[in-house]
Amino acid sequence: MKRILADLHIHTALSPCASEEMIPQAIVRAAIRRGLEMIAICDHNTAGNTAAAEKAAGKDITVIAGMEITTAEDVHVLGLFPDVWVACTVSEKILKTLPEMQGSSKILGRQTLMNAEGQIIGMETKMLAASSAFRLSDSVNLIKRHRGIAVAAHLDRPSFSVISQLGMIPDDISFDAIEISGAAVASSRIQEFYSFGIPVLTSSDSHFLSDIGTCCTALEILEPTFNELVLALRGIAGRGCSVA
Amino acid sequence: MKLNDLAEKLSLRNLTLEIQIKESTCVSKGHASDLLSDVLANAPGGSVLVTIQVHMNVIAVAIHAGVASVIFASGMVPDQAVIEKAISEGLPLYTSKESTFDIAGQLYELGLRGGHG
Ligand SMILES: [Zn+2]
Ligand SMILES: [Zn+2]
Repeated sequence: MKRILADLHIHTALSPCASEEMIPQAIVRAAIRRGLEMIAICDHNTAGNTAAAEKAAGKDITVIAGMEITTAEDVHVLGLFPDVWVACTVSEKILKTLPEMQGSSKILGRQTLMNAEGQIIGMETKMLAASSAFRLSDSVNLIKRHRGIAVAAHLDRPSFSVISQLGMIPDDISFDAIEISGAAVASSRIQEFYSFGIPVLTSSDSHFLSDIGTCCTALEILEPTFNELVLALRGIAGRGCSVA
Repeated sequence: MKLNDLAEKLSLRNLTLEIQIKESTCVSKGHASDLLSDVLANAPGGSVLVTIQVHMNVIAVAIHAGVASVIFASGMVPDQAVIEKAISEGLPLYTSKESTFDIAGQLYELGLRGGHG
């Protein structure tokens, strides 16, 4: 068993709110420099740049293909998937329910699809900042049906979290983990999040290169793979996770 | 103002006809919000909540906050399971085609006020 550091919530330039500097190669380099061995790419409502990030990473760092779904209730949920193909399958279903941009990228921000080298290969035409038609329960079911990990994103934040939108975690939803920000880790509120009895992760939710690895999760696993991450969240055979 | 009269004045559609609203049920406060964390923290006890949030949690949160009734704006209607939960909790639900803004305006005209009003 070894201890590795993972930052499981990083946006690329595809997210309208993320910096243009968030190109796959630069993200991977910054992550390695900060001692991370696993990252997850989670753009808003799409997995469109996960293939590029995985390719850019090569064998130097593990990239998990993910996405940050905005549910119909304006709740952010992370889906982390076994591979890029599965992530993109889910992403297609979500994208179908979003409105078209219709030239509002000047206000909302550019949505750049890239290859591993960071060259622009297209622009996403769906409005990624909008909420999808999938409700929270439907989103979590969709993620789980695709063997994904469902994470309640930035649970401590006053906007777009399960608690801000819905007041509490609904009874019928079983998240695989909850994510809290670095600020919550440092505060006295942290016990409140452990009390849910769900594994607690902390991630940077990076929108800029300088955010990467500013807070991360320590994983006790055999090797940095998706399957090991799943086992760590379930605490199987000595594996585990903790806020770092 | 009596809840029954209020519902009639605003031409609200009653989603919970099974609930017998007591003649004596009166409301004088209102709250408009779609963030249930805000409802928990700020909705005055005994108030009418105007919202487009139709998630099941709206019932538990309304009960917890002591909200007297919920009006779903913009034609929003929650799932049957939500309505049934409200019936079992005795929380009257209404829906209206009008927007949150217009409903709140009418409630204000009828004399209802927010938490600080
Ligand atoms: Zn988010
Ligand atoms: Zn995010």
